[in-house]
Amino acid sequence: MSDKATAFFRYLAYVIELILMFMLCTTPGLMPELFGAKPALLICVALTAAVFEREIPAMIIGMVAGILTDIGYSNSIGVFTISLTIICFIVGYAANNLIVAKFLNYLLYAAIAVGILFMLYFLVWFIIPGVEDMWQYFTAHIISRAVQTFLYSIPFYFINKFIYSRLNTEIG
Amino acid sequence: MKDFFQSTKVKVFLSVLLVLIMLSVFTRNVENNIISTTLNAITFGLSKVTAAATEDHSPKKSYDELKTENDALAQANRELRAKLVDYYNVKEENTRLWQFYGIKKEHEDYSLIPATVLRRDTNDEFGSFTIDKGTASSVNVGAPVIGESGLIGWISEADAYTAKVVTILSPQTSIGAVDNATGDTGIITGSAKFADENRTTFTKLNSENKVEEGDIITSSGASGIYPKGMALGEVIEIGYDTYDTSYYAVIEPYDDISKILDVAVVTDFDGQGEILKKESDE
Repeated sequence: MSDKATAFFRYLAYVIELILMFMLCTTPGLMPELFGAKPALLICVALTAAVFEREIPAMIIGMVAGILTDIGYSNSIGVFTISLTIICFIVGYAANNLIVAKFLNYLLYAAIAVGILFMLYFLVWFIIPGVEDMWQYFTAHIISRAVQTFLYSIPFYFINKFIYSRLNTEIG
Repeated sequence: MKDFFQSTKVKVFLSVLLVLIMLSVFTRNVENNIISTTLNAITFGLSKVTAAATEDHSPKKSYDELKTENDALAQANRELRAKLVDYYNVKEENTRLWQFYGIKKEHEDYSLIPATVLRRDTNDEFGSFTIDKGTASSVNVGAPVIGESGLIGWISEADAYTAKVVTILSPQTSIGAVDNATGDTGIITGSAKFADENRTTFTKLNSENKVEEGDIITSSGASGIYPKGMALGEVIEIGYDTYDTSYYAVIEPYDDISKILDVAVVTDFDGQGEILKKESDE
């Protein structure tokens, strides 16, 4: 297959992943809650794709995942779109130029990125509006959601690594 | 590194970021805007699929009950098949409306628009959800939303075909309410402390309140935003807020808000928009 064809099928695979995870996340009652929260699967897809892609494709994947996450929550473009766009761009750059995306390095990227994303979310939706009992919400839900998102991203790392290795002429 | 910051990639990145920030400000501040409408229109089909795939949380029925119901439905289906061309849409709407028949009968002044929950988000623990009706169906921001048993929330955002509902479990909600048994008044607002258990709070009660467990709390209708006399829930606990130095009651709504699938939006009712004078002002 030509470069363009493999790239097309690879991006198509990411798009299908994003659509499936959007449906899985937003279907009421489909995913069980663990410790008061569910993982943000769109973030898992975006981060794991970003570590294998170049900056611009990584940024676009992050932007799409962010838009879908924000639509699900507030019907408008917001904190997840902007933060995932920035983070995926940085991850894409760092994984290609600074720290190669081996599994252990990916865990480092994911821990930092997930931590930043949920802290920003908490800042924008809870601290700035001054929601009452926000720290209870933080300990009961945000921490659990961040940890689950981090853990769920591990299988996505291997799925996207497989997609990247199979649909990439540079290494295939 | 210096080359990188001057590269086309960074310029593209900064341009995209600038556009996203502008779009974010635009979609937050302009109601019913084209961006949100377009994005929701794109995901509408997906959400319809997820809504259809949603598990039914209604109580389980026995085989005989299901068989009887199935026979009745099969019979009804045979009769209805011969009717109007848009039979399926009408039937679906009627099924939803039937759930709100009791409320409609009790409050003839209400104009109800039945709607289905399209999606819920993993990021919201206060039960907020998006419904499949928007401004094209006369569903506007601020409109009350009811479940089978009473008021469950209000429309916070609306575009042409979808609308977001903030529930009474959310701290964003503030509804004037009254204890039907004692006449005590207060504000219904959500709390992160109780939202997990499908509970909200009846706050700002005065020190001489007589609210007791088991009392039924209804909307006071004082602001003209919510209809008067809509059931909000039942008192299950009384507490004292040391920070706010006022009493509050924990309220359990009659509907399980985190699992509700069919709702109705009250688009019009007697007294809508009228601000009633409080007793103290009289």
